[in-house]
Amino acid sequence: MKTHQLLARSTTLLLFFNLAIALHAQTRSGVDSTFQQRLEEIDQKQRILERKWELQQEEAAVKAKDTPALVAGKDGFALKSSDGRFQLKLRGYAQTDGRFYLADDEKRLVNTFLLRRVRPIFEGTFDKNFDYYLMLDFGGGTTVVQDAYVDFHYWPQARLRLGKLKEPFGIERLQSGANLLFIERGLPNNLVPNRDIGVQFHGEVAKGAITYALGAFNGVADGGSADSDAGDEKDYVARLFLLPFKNSKAVALQGLGLGIAVSTGAHIGSATSPSLPAFRTPAQQTYFSYRADGSAANTTIASGKRQRFSPQGYYYAGAFGLFGEYVRSQQEVTRGSTTAELRNEAWQMAGSFMLTGHKLSYRGVALPKPFEPKDGNWGAFELATRYGKIEIDDAAFPIFADPAKAAQEATAWSLGLNWYLNRNVKFTVDYEQTEFKGGAGTGNRAAEKVIFSRLQISY
Amino acid sequence: MRTQMLAIKIFAPIALLFIMSTMLHAQKEITLLNVSYDPTRELYQEYNAAFAKHWKEKTGELVTIRQSHGGSSKQARAVIDGLQADVVTLALAYDIDAIYEQAKLLPQDWQKRLPHNSAPYTSTLALLVRKGNPKKIKDWDDLIRPGISVITPNPKTSGVARWNYLAAWGYALKQNNGDQQKAKEFIAQIYKNVPVLDSGARGATTTFVERGIGDVLINWENELLLIRKLNPEKYEIIVPSLSILAEPTVTLVDKVVDKRKTRAVAQAYLEYLYSEAGQEIAAKHFYRAHSPAVVAKYAAQFPQINLFNIDEVFGGWQKAQKTHFADGGVFDQIYLNK
Repeated sequence: MKTHQLLARSTTLLLFFNLAIALHAQTRSGVDSTFQQRLEEIDQKQRILERKWELQQEEAAVKAKDTPALVAGKDGFALKSSDGRFQLKLRGYAQTDGRFYLADDEKRLVNTFLLRRVRPIFEGTFDKNFDYYLMLDFGGGTTVVQDAYVDFHYWPQARLRLGKLKEPFGIERLQSGANLLFIERGLPNNLVPNRDIGVQFHGEVAKGAITYALGAFNGVADGGSADSDAGDEKDYVARLFLLPFKNSKAVALQGLGLGIAVSTGAHIGSATSPSLPAFRTPAQQTYFSYRADGSAANTTIASGKRQRFSPQGYYYAGAFGLFGEYVRSQQEVTRGSTTAELRNEAWQMAGSFMLTGHKLSYRGVALPKPFEPKDGNWGAFELATRYGKIEIDDAAFPIFADPAKAAQEATAWSLGLNWYLNRNVKFTVDYEQTEFKGGAGTGNRAAEKVIFSRLQISY
Repeated sequence: MRTQMLAIKIFAPIALLFIMSTMLHAQKEITLLNVSYDPTRELYQEYNAAFAKHWKEKTGELVTIRQSHGGSSKQARAVIDGLQADVVTLALAYDIDAIYEQAKLLPQDWQKRLPHNSAPYTSTLALLVRKGNPKKIKDWDDLIRPGISVITPNPKTSGVARWNYLAAWGYALKQNNGDQQKAKEFIAQIYKNVPVLDSGARGATTTFVERGIGDVLINWENELLLIRKLNPEKYEIIVPSLSILAEPTVTLVDKVVDKRKTRAVAQAYLEYLYSEAGQEIAAKHFYRAHSPAVVAKYAAQFPQINLFNIDEVFGGWQKAQKTHFADGGVFDQIYLNK
């Protein structure tokens, strides 16, 4: 029996005993001093027991306050110091995909299962004001440090982040890989910088209605990530995103967000490291690349200014969601003695609807009840569609890119079904069709028709 | 290169604004943390307001003083463990010595930095009994009578509990011509009569006053005077024939004030305790002041008590702590065999 139970029972017994004695004493003609004294002694013993119990409780509360907390739940696992100033959270997600190509009679492409992302995440806080974030990726059998940064956030309006992180540019790129609407991001992401090393000054003002980010980074090619820099020139990125009705009473417009991102920088490539991108379809097949054979004469290289521009926005209202972006990337390139500034453009619109009526947002789906068919809870179902296009500058052909191998345009449309079983498990099936202009010896490169599947576990 | 110049033009003003806002933020607010012991809550509430006003008049700066209270040794432990105290105002010098010894947050000779051994006010220990003194308690030796229930906190965590213990020990020594063994037996008999050990002075007061436990409470004179002021019809103070001069001490926590750049204001905060205004506030809250004028003004509220000091009977706090209160010391021998 536990001490407090014993004390509680003892106290109750003493109370009854007191009552019995008191009644007994009352039956006597006068107050007997011996009984009175005995009564007082018992009363004191009872009070002492209660006080000891009270002190034990106080001591236990102090100990609990000083004891670090170990938390496990739907949001992952966390270790917190008693004052909350130090934290370590263990999170992560893993995605097992299937890619099945249709109308591929020539068997050019391989139907496959793959571990697309396996990403443990270690994040937390040092001494209240410094957050850290480390995300590794073991997907595809390689080990990559995707994110590794420290965020100083004494003032929410003015935070400073240093390390390897996503450049603040593309609206879909900035979504976590675990919250994507489709299994693969759309065509504009070919022109959007991915992860880079640098410093970012960012924050939220007006109760989150305005978010901004200004950053200086090593600079990466379109769609690229990097862990180092080969030149002195840097990229400077700025993004402003507004939710003009976030704090207004116009409920229908609270989920409207509009933003713009720009980047500017300059990079000089070489024949062995051209600093130029190759563009891939959602099924990760390369459909465009610049000429490169390793020789100075026949390799197209980055040779100066690189600028990007992207208006973007989203709208979420209840079970309905829509987002879109336009990206333009201009890059000075050189091959041999010929130089040009190429302008590539892409855009996409994507919309989705929760068939089960759950609320959608940029950060994902609010899922109140987990999968429990016996109780009639099957999770949430979402139907999604997307259309997007990318156009390569005509001036790229034929000097800087081979029209027989590199497509001049790609247009993709998709249909998808997402099944959220609970906050941690998601199953997705997408159909994606991409058609090309050019990119083959004669005519157009064959359309790519792919069925994707994904089982995602996140915590 | 033009791109970089453009970027510098954009970023430089933003960085400048950021730095300026940081500096402005740093200038507009001075805060001090005073880590103190249990019964000084009311004293420092009034004193802090008075000092803030004084500092504003003197320098134009706004200062806010936060307070933290608890058992003196527990408070010292918290500072050693990282609580960012600008000043400590604890029940006994030994607890501040521990901050030097275990964390080196202040110099070894800290006690020489302010007058009166860094004790801006003093107190002593007395006894509180219920109205009418039903158990006829008149002096320390009444506390060892069978059937007397004595309330005193735990000397392991409480400063006043150690003062209580040493006051009773000093009395027993005098009664027994310096016989240490008899003093030990005397103390052992007192603790046989202690039904519950609170962690601090205020907790012991709660046990005696609010929970109605015990026949006699040993506590700070200032605490007992406060209780009697609030409940004149319920309690009586018994002045023992001999007690100890208690010197609660104060000091800067040097490493903290240097890190937080608060040395000047923290130093002034402690020095103001010795001013006439500071001494008057201490006396109002039943602490014995040093200022002759304040002593004269408040003479009526402090009874005459024969006092001895810790150095003459116990050879100072270090020796007393090691002999009596360290793990395995006399108190452990007495209490664990209770």
